[in-house]
Amino acid sequence: MDIRLDGIGHAYDDFEVMRDIDLEIPTGQIVCIVGPSGCGKSTLLRFIGGLEQPKKGRVLQVGAPPAGCLNPLTYIFQDFALLPWRTVWGNISLVLEDHGIRGAAAKDIIDDVLARTKLSDFAEALPKQLSGGMKQRVAIARALAVKPAVMLMDEPLSALDSQTRELLMDDLVDLWTRQPFTAVYVTHNLAEAVRLGHKVVVLSRRPGQIREVVTIDKPLAAREFSDPDLDRYQKDLWHLMREEARAADAELIHV
Amino acid sequence: MITFNRRKALALMGGTVAASGLAAPALAANKKIKVGALRFTSHSGSFIALERGYFADAGLDVEFEFFQAAQPMAVAIASGDVDYAVTAISGGLISLADKGAIKVIGGALQEEGGIDGQKYLISDAAYQAGIKTLKDLDGRKYAVTQAGSSFHYMGSKMAEAEGITLQFTPLQKVGAIIGAMKSGQVDGWSIVPHIAKPLAAAGAWHMVANVSDYIPNYQVTTVFTSAKNAAEERGQTEAFLNGFKRGVDDYAAAMIDGTADQDAMVELIHKYVYTDRPLEKAAPSIINGTMRLSTGAALNVASVQDQLSWFQSEGLVDSDITLDTLVDSSYVETTGA
Amino acid sequence: MSESSAKPVSFRGGGFAPRSVRWIGVTVFVALILIAEWGTRSGWISALTLPKPSDVLDTFRELYESGLLFKHLGPSLSRLIVGAAIGASVGISVGVLIGLFSYIRSGLVPLVAAIFPIPKIALLPLFVIWFGIGEGSKYALIAFGTFTPTVVATYGAVDNVDRTLIRMGQSFGLSWWSIVRKIVLPGAMPGILSGLRISLAIAIILLVAAEMLGAQYGIGAYILEAGSLYDLERLFAGVLILSLLGVIVSAVIGLIERRLLRWRI
Repeated sequence: MDIRLDGIGHAYDDFEVMRDIDLEIPTGQIVCIVGPSGCGKSTLLRFIGGLEQPKKGRVLQVGAPPAGCLNPLTYIFQDFALLPWRTVWGNISLVLEDHGIRGAAAKDIIDDVLARTKLSDFAEALPKQLSGGMKQRVAIARALAVKPAVMLMDEPLSALDSQTRELLMDDLVDLWTRQPFTAVYVTHNLAEAVRLGHKVVVLSRRPGQIREVVTIDKPLAAREFSDPDLDRYQKDLWHLMREEARAADAELIHV
Repeated sequence: MITFNRRKALALMGGTVAASGLAAPALAANKKIKVGALRFTSHSGSFIALERGYFADAGLDVEFEFFQAAQPMAVAIASGDVDYAVTAISGGLISLADKGAIKVIGGALQEEGGIDGQKYLISDAAYQAGIKTLKDLDGRKYAVTQAGSSFHYMGSKMAEAEGITLQFTPLQKVGAIIGAMKSGQVDGWSIVPHIAKPLAAAGAWHMVANVSDYIPNYQVTTVFTSAKNAAEERGQTEAFLNGFKRGVDDYAAAMIDGTADQDAMVELIHKYVYTDRPLEKAAPSIINGTMRLSTGAALNVASVQDQLSWFQSEGLVDSDITLDTLVDSSYVETTGA
Repeated sequence: MSESSAKPVSFRGGGFAPRSVRWIGVTVFVALILIAEWGTRSGWISALTLPKPSDVLDTFRELYESGLLFKHLGPSLSRLIVGAAIGASVGISVGVLIGLFSYIRSGLVPLVAAIFPIPKIALLPLFVIWFGIGEGSKYALIAFGTFTPTVVATYGAVDNVDRTLIRMGQSFGLSWWSIVRKIVLPGAMPGILSGLRISLAIAIILLVAAEMLGAQYGIGAYILEAGSLYDLERLFAGVLILSLLGVIVSAVIGLIERRLLRWRI
């Protein structure tokens, strides 16, 4: 299933925050969205996920979601959004219960996603016992459990320290390599974008518009930590963004 | 039988000392004292004594302290905030006397044949349901303000005489009881005639008997003071009683015996009672509320003893308490002993 | 820098972190009771001021041995349980509704604010007319008294539920009812429980008021009777029972908190 953004524009009262965004998110690819702070990347992601409605334009699902998909558009949040009163197992079973999946069927799914995210030993742990990286793995496992057509990742690694971030990026690459998934990945971190993105969409500052879409052909599995090819991409992206970022930083907060 | 205990001995000694002191002009004039009162006609003795200058004649500068209920007044006497007051004998009063805080020194309101007294009532709802006599109240709800109040005593004495049992239902305030009687939530009660009659006429309840039929010579209220005043301030206490007695005499002359101007008396009492109503509306209530205040503040000790014994039999007060603990009988004439 | 000019940095942190020290609380209690006992025995505190703690204990023992304790405790506990259960459950429901729906919030928050400061005791005569002098008015008074603090605590707690958790629920397509049941209610539970602590204490306070009218048995009636008889031993014995009731209720809530809120840090 592909996602197509068709002329998305948005404003809060008279204050325009987004203009004319057209974008195609093809199946099996990770599309990273980068941009200076306040460019509306997270808002754009909420439009795609149906948690907010744009003033102009449409978000379209093209084609049917794959068989067995419980929640086609599935979020992963920056602050993990785990229920602190449920165990790792309970947090994953939460999203299955409403689909009537319980008992053995739920166990099969949960065991599978815990294994894929290397959490099998932590099924009974409470979120407060887990490190940030582990929590985000639980959130990823929870997202995988509903077999999403598209994963919507909102700065998923921003709350983590840099070592953990590297580890999780490796994990995400592993996950994708074993079983490619479609994702929209919003970040302000260019290193993450060039490491994980098949395409990197650069948004301008307010009103957010697409500045450029950079395609990175190197296969995900072949990208490495401080890869010179990636560094070049990162440098180019930074050149594109630098002035925008500076201007955005100097802007008064309007809301 | 004379029980001569330590307390009595002390009282006697105190009496002797005070009596010897009386020979001299006892009191400096205008001694300031506080008298506790409720805004009831039964407190008229004090009101008249103040208004007509009888307290001043006795060398006392009296200031009234008004209360909403008898109970806090007794506590105020015990704490020394008030010097003298008139109230019904209640369990609380006896307990405070037992703790050595207060003494009954004289009598006030008394049930007397021939003068309208307190009434036993049956609520209209119960009456319509077939409860026509007090005997029919067996097992029914009988309203009292609190356990150990005079209402409790009156109900209990009646139940004893009728051979019935009552469910005594505490409702704290007379107003709450009137409401509960009107709505038929309680079945029986007793109250002074000026409250009983108008609402009986309005059909809220039925007056079925007089309290005096069940409790003859009932000493309803008494004059009391702190044990300290009774023992050590004999001159002042006698002065107070002298003023109070003259007030009582005036009250009886005007309201009962018809030997003095009733209208002037009603007007005087109206300064203190039913002040929220105009005189012409208050007058009938004041006249209806007329009851005998004991002449010379005489105290019916037999009635007091009966009340004490009842409180003890109900387990409301300590069974060791004797009449001497409660009463200092050295001040006024006692009857029924 | 030479060694002679070196000096240790003086410590200036610490403090501002009170913790509970075992047995201190008990010691304070015991000390106060001993002072009262000594004072009343030596006559330094008059019998009118304070009863002898040992007499209070005797009264309590007599109450227990005569079986009257349970005759008083039974009706009081049932009033407390029924009244508080009605008040708390209605309060939690209304609080959650206020926390979830704009119209209900706009309609009820001012109403709750208006009835919160009413001394519920003042409404007792009204309750007697509405519900009779039987158990009805007592349940109503206690229920009403527990209702308002529970509502306020509950909608505050619902307001404080992490919104991202609710968004998460929505993003996974959870039904409205699932979100309320599995996210809002457990998330609001800490606030609701600490609100319950207060409302149940209020329920115990109101027990005495509720038993002012038409109660022949009950701890409140017992205390009121003792008060009107100026029987300090019984008064204190009754107050002791209320205090114990308060301690027990607090301990039970503590237990529930430990069970339900294990997940908190």
